[in-house]
Parts: sequence; structure tokens; C-alpha cells
Amino acid sequence: MEYYLGILQNIGFHSLLGFSAYLLLLTGQLSLAQVGFFAIGAYTSGILTVIFGLHIYPALLTGALLSGLFAFLVGFPALRIKGLMLVVATIAFSEIVRLFFFNLRWQVGEIGFEVGPDGAQGFREIRYFAANGWEQYETVILIWSIVFLVMISLWWLDRVKAGAVLRAVGNDELAAQSSGINLTAVKVAAMTGGGFIAGIGGGLYAHSTTYVDHNSFTILLATFAVAYPILGGLRNVFGTLFAVIFIQGFLIEGLRFLGDYRNLLFGALIVIVMNIKPKGLVDGSFVGLIKKYVPALKGKRDELT
Amino acid sequence: MGFDLVGIFQTVIDGVLFGSTYALIGMGFTLIFGAMEKLNMAFAASSIGGAYIGLGISTLLGLPLFLTFFIGPIAAGLLGLLVYLTCFRFIPTDNHLGSLMASIGALFFIDEVIIHETNGSPLNFPELGLFAEAYFEFGEFGFRGDLIFIMLLSFVFMGVIMYVLYKTRLGLATRAVSQQHIASLLCGIPTHKTNAVTFVLAGVLGGFAGCLVATSVGVISPLLTLPITIKGLIAAVIGGLGSIRGAIIAGLLIGGLENLFLLLRGVNERDIYVFLLLFLFLVFRPNGLFGSTINRD
Repeated sequence: MEYYLGILQNIGFHSLLGFSAYLLLLTGQLSLAQVGFFAIGAYTSGILTVIFGLHIYPALLTGALLSGLFAFLVGFPALRIKGLMLVVATIAFSEIVRLFFFNLRWQVGEIGFEVGPDGAQGFREIRYFAANGWEQYETVILIWSIVFLVMISLWWLDRVKAGAVLRAVGNDELAAQSSGINLTAVKVAAMTGGGFIAGIGGGLYAHSTTYVDHNSFTILLATFAVAYPILGGLRNVFGTLFAVIFIQGFLIEGLRFLGDYRNLLFGALIVIVMNIKPKGLVDGSFVGLIKKYVPALKGKRDELT
Repeated sequence: MGFDLVGIFQTVIDGVLFGSTYALIGMGFTLIFGAMEKLNMAFAASSIGGAYIGLGISTLLGLPLFLTFFIGPIAAGLLGLLVYLTCFRFIPTDNHLGSLMASIGALFFIDEVIIHETNGSPLNFPELGLFAEAYFEFGEFGFRGDLIFIMLLSFVFMGVIMYVLYKTRLGLATRAVSQQHIASLLCGIPTHKTNAVTFVLAGVLGGFAGCLVATSVGVISPLLTLPITIKGLIAAVIGGLGSIRGAIIAGLLIGGLENLFLLLRGVNERDIYVFLLLFLFLVFRPNGLFGSTINRD
């Protein structure tokens, strides 16, 4: 049972990472900085509960806000550059964050019983859940309530004008600009929102695993973060969730018997899907197929197609 | 902490010499970007992969080890072609995310194949014969022979690439495709073929760079791929994407500064400053040292 709950937790963090990248991809920005925001959220909320003894909720919120702030700050210089240059800039950002935490030592407590980040040794004993008697299923409930909350917000976003504005910028910047959309505001807002979501995810991750170090936040994880929405398709938020469940649930956990061949599969899978379905797995034809077989959805208007 | 000036100069010199490998990788990125306006993230991985194949073939067949430096680039060229076919050829040209993502997938695929085949342990790489032992001294400064050789070689390659781009019909076609895709189609230029040749050319270049990196480090390991990818990209961006001499100068600059930061701040913090340098450039000179204004992605 614990094993399955662990998988559920894992899918939860990865979904949050995927959603944060999804929000940015709607505006056409491919960012590998999400793992940097994830790390900031993880370390900040961990430090708050461990060193300052804060409750989990304000700690998570502060971590997310700080991540959002950093995303806001990164957003501005990153906006002067577009598309492919942004990829390079965000890789550099994630690496800066990772190396910062690699060098961060901030330990308090008695000699021999210090707590807090310890440089290359990582940040151990983030034991808020255990210390306060949370059962594992309760943490799963917390993680998934947040995942659903984020999903509902993103789903709702596609039904209001703000979502249309995001997609307009993503589809054609020039056209969006000529319709009077403020590109800078939209892109920085998406970046900040993405940073916030990744920050919550990071905080949950740190507290659920009780241990983080710089190796948890490599470019590979950033690639996973953008791979989910791209593989799943940007048509709606379920594509991302579908891709996370497929990769984390099926490819990583379900095919455990394949050993390290699974890592090969991840790279190959991306290449194959991009060739066969450049718009992602959950694209127009897939949605059409679902509608055909689920009578309740038949004839429903499919928004924003 | 007292640093003598000689020591600092010596450090910078070593760094600049090693930076020529970054310059070569940066050139590869910039070459492909120039041709297709796309980033091939798998480029450094295929370069290292080529060096691995070269080493593997010459070890397995019992060939003299210096042949690694010939087989490696050829293999890397073929890998480059493979990457083109799998990640760029059949994905619609206007789908930038698609081919970028596919090439990132290819990066991890190549990396994981290497890890799988070698169990993740580094292999010894042959040295550059008599160049490895050579050591030149000028006054108080010393120069590593193999690094000087690498630097000279990278200048030779830069010359070759420049010659191909600006003096041959193939180069003319490449530049035409990059400047105006549709117009070049109308002129009867086979764009797919041109792009494929560019990938092979860049791949061969990368294969040499991969061999040179491996020989100057002494071992080859899959851990080399990501740092080289990132440093090469930074060289390409700081130099101005699409500018070959920019990539060369930026690569040497990064090598020198990297070693300087290493001396001043230690190995753990070295890369932070290199990345901050990139951010400075992005904020104040987004088009790099020599880049023309880029109007589109």
C-alpha cells in the first residue's frame, strides 16, 4: 500500500511541475527554469518548517511566493530574448539555483544534531509530516487536493478571457501585439504563475521525501517538466496529467522489470511521439475519439480548438 | 589571499586554450542554428557519442589508437545525420517546440545508451602522442602542448567551415536556406539535402571536438555531455547565435574566465559566475557579441 501511495505522491509532484511548464507553454515559452523554481520552493519551505518551526501551510505558501517572485524577476531579462534563447537562459538559471543550493550551508541546533541545508550533503530531516503525526494517506490527500486545485484553475483559465489572451500570445505574438495585448505583462504573468505552481510542488516534494539535495534538481527533471505538457499536448490540462501518469506510472513504475532500459525509453519516446504526433498525444483526433465513445460528451462544444 | 599576477595569467592562458573545445561545440550549435534557425540540443551528445564509437571501434578491432581521431568524427557525422532524420526532417518546420523537444529526447537517449554500454564508468582516452608531453615555456609562463594543438586545430576547422560556407556552392545553398526558406525552394535548392549536409558537417566538427575534449581531460565519460552542451550553448549565445567567429571568441573567453573563477572562488562556485555572465549578456546584449538583430525565433 505504501508503495502505491508513494507512486501517487510522485505523480502529484510531477503533475505540478508539468502544470507550471504548461502555463508557460500556453504563451509559447519553453522554459527549463521550472526545476529551479521547484528547488527554491523545496528549500524555502523546508527551511521554514525545520529551522523556524513554522506550520506547513504558511511554509508552503511562502516557498511558492518566493518562487513566484524569482520567476517574476527572471521573467524580465528573459523576455528580451525569445524562443530558443530563452531555453539557454532558463537552463542557466536552473543551474545557478542548483549550484547555489549545492553551496548553501545553514545549520542550526546542537553540535551533532544540526538541522538545515548542509551543502553537498543535502538537506536532511525535513520531518514536519512525521513529527506532527500525519499518516501517509493524509499527505497524499494534501498533495492531490493541491493538484486538483491547480488543474481546476487552469481549466477555468481556458474559459475566461485571460486564457484566450495567453493562447493568443502563444499562437502568434505579432498578431496578439497588434490586437493591443501587452506581451510583457502576459509573459511575465505566465512566468510568475508557473513559478508559483512549481514552488508549491517543490515544498510538497521536500516534505514528502524528507530529504533533498542538489542532485534532485537537475536539468533532467526540467526536461521531464516540459516533456509532460508537450507529450500530452497543449489542448487542455488533462493532456499533461495523462502524460505524467503515462511516464511516471507506466514507464517508470510499471516497466520496472526492464531495469535501466527505461531511461532509454524516455528519450526514445519523446523522439517518437514528436514525429508521430507533433501536437502531443491528447490532440484533436484523440479528443474526437473520446467523444465518440463517451455519449455524455457527444455534441458538446469543444472550447478553444 | 595573495595571488601572484603570473599565476593568474597562467590560469587564464590554460583556460583560454581549453576554451577552444567550447568554441568548437559552440560553432556546431551556431552552424545548425544558422541553417535551420533551430537548436539541436543533441549536438554535444552526438559529438561525445562519436568519440565513444571511435574509441570503441579502434579498441575492438585492435587498430592503432590514433585512428580514434578519424573514426570518431566520421561516426559523429553519421550520428548527426541520424539526429537530423529523427528530430528535424519529419517534424513540421513551423513546429519549433516539437523539434527542440525531440532533440532533447535524443540527447538523453544518446547519453543513456552510452551509460548503458559502459555501465557509467569513464574510459581512458588515448593521448595526442607527442603533443601530450610537449610543454612550452616562455619566460614565466607555460603552455600545455596538447591544448595548443587543440587550439590550432580549432582555428583550422574554423577556416574550413568559413571556406565551405562562403566559397562553395553548398555553403551558398546553406546560407540561402537559412535566409529565405521559401525563396530558396523556388530557386530549386533541395532544402532537406542541404540541411542534412549541414548536420553532417556540424557532426564531424563536433566529433573532433568530442575527441579533443576527451583527450585533454584524459578520460571520456557520459558526465561530459551536459556541461559541454551548456558551455557550448553559452558560447553560441554570447557570440551571437549564427555568428561563427562570435562562437570562437566567446568559447575562448568562457574558457579563460572559467579558469579564473576556478582560481578565485573554487570549483563549487565556478559555474555560477559563468552562468551569471550569460545573464549579463542576455540583459545588456541579447544578440551577443557579433549577432545580427534576430527578428524571429
